[in-house]
Amino acid sequence: MPEIRVTPLGAGQDVGRSCILVSIAGKNVMLDCGMHMGFSDDRRFPDFSYITRSGRLTDFLDCVIISHFHLDHCGALPYFSEMVGYDGPIYMTQPTQAICPILLEDYRKIAVDKKGEANFFTSQMIKDCMKKVVAVHLHQTVQVDDELEIKAYYAGHVLGAAMFQIKVGSESVVYTGDYNMTPDRHLGAAWIDKCRPNLLITESTYATTIRDSKRCRERDFLKKVHETVERGGKVLIPVFALGRAQELCILLETFWERMDLKAPIYFSTGLTEKANHYYKLFIPWTNQKIRKTFVQRNMFEFKHIKAFDRAFADSPGPMVIMPGYCVQGTVGHKILSGQRKLEMEGRQVLEVKMQVEYMSFSAHADAKGIMQLVGQAEPENVLLVHGEAKKMEFLKQKIEQEFRVSCYMPANGETVTLPTSPSIPVGISLGLLKREMAQGLLPDAKKPRLLHGTLIMKDSNFRLVSSEQALKELGLAEHQLRFTCRVHLHDTRKEQEMAMRVYSHLKSVLKDHCVQHLPDGSVTVESILVQAAAHSEDPGTKVLLVSWTYQDEELGSYLTSLLKKGLPQAS
Amino acid sequence: MAEIVPTQGRYQDFHAFDLSGATRVLEWIGDKGILVAGYESLKKNEILHLILPLRLSVKENQGLFPERDFKVQHGGFSDRSVFDLKHVPDTRLLVTSGPPGCYLQVWQLAEDSDVIRAVSTIDVHESEGRLWPRVAVFPSVAPGILHGTRLSSLKVVDLDSQKTTYTSGVSDDDVLSSLQVLNTDTFAFCCSSGRLGLVDTRQKWAPLENLGPGPGSAGRRWCAEAGGRGPGPSIARLGSDGQLCLLDLRDLCQPVSSVQCPVSMPSPEPELLRVTWAPGLDNCLAISGFDGTVQVYDVTSWAGVGHQVEPLFTHRGHIFLDDSGMAPAPLVTTHTWHPCKPRTVLSAASDASLHVWDWVDPCASR
Repeated sequence: MPEIRVTPLGAGQDVGRSCILVSIAGKNVMLDCGMHMGFSDDRRFPDFSYITRSGRLTDFLDCVIISHFHLDHCGALPYFSEMVGYDGPIYMTQPTQAICPILLEDYRKIAVDKKGEANFFTSQMIKDCMKKVVAVHLHQTVQVDDELEIKAYYAGHVLGAAMFQIKVGSESVVYTGDYNMTPDRHLGAAWIDKCRPNLLITESTYATTIRDSKRCRERDFLKKVHETVERGGKVLIPVFALGRAQELCILLETFWERMDLKAPIYFSTGLTEKANHYYKLFIPWTNQKIRKTFVQRNMFEFKHIKAFDRAFADSPGPMVIMPGYCVQGTVGHKILSGQRKLEMEGRQVLEVKMQVEYMSFSAHADAKGIMQLVGQAEPENVLLVHGEAKKMEFLKQKIEQEFRVSCYMPANGETVTLPTSPSIPVGISLGLLKREMAQGLLPDAKKPRLLHGTLIMKDSNFRLVSSEQALKELGLAEHQLRFTCRVHLHDTRKEQEMAMRVYSHLKSVLKDHCVQHLPDGSVTVESILVQAAAHSEDPGTKVLLVSWTYQDEELGSYLTSLLKKGLPQAS
Repeated sequence: MAEIVPTQGRYQDFHAFDLSGATRVLEWIGDKGILVAGYESLKKNEILHLILPLRLSVKENQGLFPERDFKVQHGGFSDRSVFDLKHVPDTRLLVTSGPPGCYLQVWQLAEDSDVIRAVSTIDVHESEGRLWPRVAVFPSVAPGILHGTRLSSLKVVDLDSQKTTYTSGVSDDDVLSSLQVLNTDTFAFCCSSGRLGLVDTRQKWAPLENLGPGPGSAGRRWCAEAGGRGPGPSIARLGSDGQLCLLDLRDLCQPVSSVQCPVSMPSPEPELLRVTWAPGLDNCLAISGFDGTVQVYDVTSWAGVGHQVEPLFTHRGHIFLDDSGMAPAPLVTTHTWHPCKPRTVLSAASDASLHVWDWVDPCASR
């Protein structure tokens, strides 16, 4: 059935867990397997019952693809593969493969050890899950099986994030995951070629926003940091270790260098240290500028930024510290929520006297970015996930008008079906081509030429060959079909004279055809034979026998009607 | 390393955005939303209802709001360029105007989705060449749309019934440049020639008028705005050569002062001239339309004729942040003051940039 079916199991119309099921030409692919960070019960997982109804997941799914290491895209993977049960291949880029398990383990520790949650995946499950991973390189076509192939494209956003093209024959789907169309300090911008997929699935979290300029954001951030440090104060920047932390490190390092600042900058040990290690490892995944700088020195080898030691906690003087993400329930989280009084252990109440600033540095595509990507890929259809349908009607219209494509916004569990017109490649034999060329007429690129042949379908192979060759291959003999028609005309002359008159008449009318008068009295028009005979019973009536082959059916019928009209009077 | 806008210590806050198309209109809808619209002639233009980033709307604890982005609340498409856009207060309706000036378009912001739909038109019976009608709204239970290209074609049309409820009834063909509703019965007009007046719609045409600065340099065009807080003059008339004239409502015939603003050259597009009074500061106004800057002036001590004055503050962001190097420098197309935050201004330029900035008053005493 030539159609593509897409069902979001999560991130249909809400931001949270991303998990999309795609059926293309009989293949089933799962795109991302995310965890919804806002829930602590089963609502945090995508609804897999939709697919498990079809039987064993391993039999149903041809592969799973993970776009990047953020937990809302891979957080449910160990649960899915080890607790629900899936043993097929899981594709992701190398950095994603390296960093995913770290984040999953970190999250597991917090959920189980700190929050005491049950029914969570174990460390061993994470390890077992990662054994099923197959790493892919950018722009490398990976054959999942004989028919299904996938290819990863650079997505920006975070280290190792990729957009994926899924292709079966001439049908393809591109899934963007999260991406960013503007380069930042440590990552390049997303890019895709004019691959013209049947469908482009794009995230639209920020589709209805107009982002402020990066320069202004950075300026604001640095201004506040600088002012505090100049006053001798301390700056704490709680930021998640992987992703924006590296961006801020480069920003601070560059600023410190430019302004010749001396205050120390620290990041907390543990996750951040591991993260920096991976960024150094995966330099090809960073942006061009970093790669150029890397020749002289590794850009993630910071001069001004070092690992924090708890002994520094009471040191006087200015400093900047990046302690890491503040999970709900921690002092840091409470302060960020605006609390100005904290109850500490032993009923001690502390006043929060520090200045609190909350800034957003996330790297997502806004409306402009989405339009840019659609323009690059040139899809036939667009599907938006991660947004709210009512609030995206305008964007839908904008995409439909600008690119003349259909735009879909399914809810979770809702299936979108796209009809496709797959093209079936047919090989044409050289002999047939040559024969057509030998007809003499030059091929006209704008006008289709009708050509006759025989289509042979064997296995999944289609060939167009000449009839003779087909007969030969199939071991069949050729049969000729010949039609004969009798035309009765009132004429008293002799047969030979009659034939002569038929010849003259036909010669004058059918100027484009080859009309001949044979020695035995018969007249030929191309391969059609006309013979005059006397009527057996009525000498005043002559019978013209018109005979033609199946190939000359049209001319034969025309000749017959022409002769039925009678011959012109003798001149 | 990418340049950071020089922190001259004069901005309290500065946010820069890029719209998908340049706008010449910045119309407030409530005090948290603005409307912008494209003015290209050969393609579809977007009309957008944008919600200000939360941190720019709240009065306290700004620091706790990370979101710095505008949100597109509603969007629609216009086949024509939009040169003027007015929101009908207390409704979900908008009125737009632009060339060809033969009709005004009425739009509605949908309630159940994010679409802006065209709902009706208002005919403008005389349309000519490149002129397009200015628009202002008389807010009331039955809103009236004031429009006109020339003094002779000034009309008020009832939005619901489409009946004309007022006409100027004069034959003066002065071309209009500004129209402003002052209260339920009064509006102010300014012509390109500089002639300005206040009209009471309950009477036959008999405006309080200032006939204009007289024959000056050929091609000089004017616009004006009434407003201002504080005891001083409340009408400002701006010329395309940078002349700024202040008048008092009580005696329009005698301008209070006339100064020459330091502009590098006459405005290349006099239709884009804007002069606005700050709603939250005394005797403070802003001008734009000469180049890529917006200039803010304190007019408290202005008196007499011909003085040179210096701006209190000049916003140069549209020039500094212009990435293109090749194209001609952007021109500020319009600006507007935030209704609640006294020193916050929004400005838009021809390169589709949109800035929100809060300037620091260099005089500590304010």
